[in-house]
Amino acid sequence: MEEMTGAVALLSALKSEGVRHIFGIPGGAIIPVYDALYEEPSIRHILVRHEQAAAHAADGYARALGKPGVCMATSGPGACNLLTGILNAYMDSSPVIAITGQVPTHLLGTDAFQEADLLSLMLPITKHNFLVKSVEELVEAVRKAFQIAMTGRPGPVHIDLPRDVQLAKAKVKIPAEITRREKVRYDPDPLRVEEAVKLIEGAERPVIFAGGGIIWSGASPELVELAELLGAPVVTSLMGKGSIPENHPLSLGMLGMHGRRAANLAVTECDLLIGVGVRFSDRSTGDARYFAPKAKIIHIDIDPVEIGKLVRTDVSVVGDAKRALAMILKLLKERARRGVRSEWKERIMQMKKEFSPKMDYDDIPIKPQRVIKEIMEALDEDSVVVTEVGQCQMWAAHYYTVRGPRKFISSGGLGTMGFGFPASLGAKIALPEKKVLDVAGDGSFLMNSQELATAVENNIEVVCCIFNNSYLGMVKQWQDLFHGGRRSQTYLGKSPDFVKLAEAYGAWGDRVTRPGEIREKLKEALECGKPAVLDVVIDPEEHVLPMVPAGGKLDQMIVRD
Amino acid sequence: MRTRIFSVLCENVAGVMMRVSRCFTRRQINMDSITVGIEPSGLARIIILFKADDKMASFMQRVLMRLEPIVEVQMLEPENSVAREICLFKTRKLGEEEMSEVIRFIQSAGGKVLEIREGSLIGEIGGSHEEVERLLTSLGTERLKEVARSGQVYLSRNSRE
Repeated sequence: MEEMTGAVALLSALKSEGVRHIFGIPGGAIIPVYDALYEEPSIRHILVRHEQAAAHAADGYARALGKPGVCMATSGPGACNLLTGILNAYMDSSPVIAITGQVPTHLLGTDAFQEADLLSLMLPITKHNFLVKSVEELVEAVRKAFQIAMTGRPGPVHIDLPRDVQLAKAKVKIPAEITRREKVRYDPDPLRVEEAVKLIEGAERPVIFAGGGIIWSGASPELVELAELLGAPVVTSLMGKGSIPENHPLSLGMLGMHGRRAANLAVTECDLLIGVGVRFSDRSTGDARYFAPKAKIIHIDIDPVEIGKLVRTDVSVVGDAKRALAMILKLLKERARRGVRSEWKERIMQMKKEFSPKMDYDDIPIKPQRVIKEIMEALDEDSVVVTEVGQCQMWAAHYYTVRGPRKFISSGGLGTMGFGFPASLGAKIALPEKKVLDVAGDGSFLMNSQELATAVENNIEVVCCIFNNSYLGMVKQWQDLFHGGRRSQTYLGKSPDFVKLAEAYGAWGDRVTRPGEIREKLKEALECGKPAVLDVVIDPEEHVLPMVPAGGKLDQMIVRD
Repeated sequence: MRTRIFSVLCENVAGVMMRVSRCFTRRQINMDSITVGIEPSGLARIIILFKADDKMASFMQRVLMRLEPIVEVQMLEPENSVAREICLFKTRKLGEEEMSEVIRFIQSAGGKVLEIREGSLIGEIGGSHEEVERLLTSLGTERLKEVARSGQVYLSRNSRE
């Protein structure tokens, strides 16, 4: 037991959880914590320029590293600016710990300066949240917060910390640093696994639908093994991209609204769909009533709330994806009734060949597909691609071949424009030795472009590749397709000059207008030794296709000509 | 759609009612009744009545179980649980004869006269929700000035370890 202030206790408790980085901005109600941080060498604080970016950076950090990311802000406006980022993390099951200052306890509920009712505001968008009233409670809250964030389905946790608690002194015991916390794994019910195996054995045309749960559970090896054992193709959700290396012969890429045609057709034709670590979002399934219409469905997920929420399920297995897949594999191998479904595998290979996406356009203005192709060639397989939201995101999701887990980071559930750039900063801080590239749109990037200052001041070498079409492109696409081409308020114009913007912040900046120049400029951006912005002027008329209209059937896609 | 009864055991911490009730609000469910009391263990027991089909009821049970302070969510059925609602009421000023009639009625219904002041009576009746409804009607709603009802509490008949 040692006497210390709440502020010091907070940092000690964070250290004991292995925290090395915090993204944040100080303000009146959290000055005591920043005061303690002043003499804390083992935690690096990355000063961002807007709190929303702190939350996204912590989120990107968590997704790249597989460990919680921490963000910090002051009370009231600071904390409220975190909300979008925290909800984003909640929707995508990302373990973000948010810590905010709060007005002193005696002023709670009085509309004090910079007071916001954060217990209420954070409550619906976190796995759990705390309003801490004493130093003792604080130490306990930090321990619980990390446990909650990482146990079962991951998610964000918020700790609201009144100023007087930061300053109060108390004797507390800080637990020793947890060097390696064993992941708590939930074993599935063996009876359910048995039922699942029976369905798998009887299936002629199985498809595996893999989601973010595979990545958080570290179940990629089991996923690949199951796919190979059955000869079953793997389709993924946006969160599941990279759960199987997408250059694997059995990978069909992303499913859904902007999924690969082969993926959507395989799901429509399959007689068994094995969903693992997925939540069957409307963007993946289209009209849920016609989803996998010929198939029995097995749903494996760690969150029992997801079972049967959106699609009918024939067998549900609640538990850790890695454990569940390992149990299924063990049973399948013991019985060895048969392995690869050769006819189905042939059909899959034929579909894959027939619908392999075209990317090698030489057009001017540049086609976005070509840019993705160039990015894929410029990056090595360990690089991390982060995306903004909108057309740029879906081009990346559709065309980019992710070669392993945690190498593709995108805002799925919430679809938060402005996510990509700060998230890429977080990813780069987490994995400094890897190349990190943000696939951006001009609209999205501008929503958090102030973070160029953060990148430059902290020398975070990420490349932001802007797919610049001067539009809020995805909205424009919907207007073109479903609203008679009435492009209401989606034209953004020519401002700003992104090259000058980058240079104004002290970053590297350049522009590309011809496809032949992309390779060279990308190389330059990746090797310039500072944060870089590459403004690629693309064809504003290009849509993200194929597309399944919202609520449509997966095999009824709008395709390119 | 039929009435569902949840008996929710949870930690007695500030905000737990909000955590629970917003799960219903978010799914557009209007609760028919919600009551809370503290058990000797120090845990709180919340009894919630709402209308839902089987799928939604099971979904809501899992949604509540996901909340950090929730220990247990039992789905009770009317046939294997006992139900009770307490109703306090205050009458308007009554004449002597009317007063005796009301007192007799309360006694015959197993209720209690709690207080009589300046010709107005405060009484208590209890029973199932339907019984309370019936008693209030028989008592004559025109006589009642103010009514406070506890909401419905249910207790499972099953003996559980």
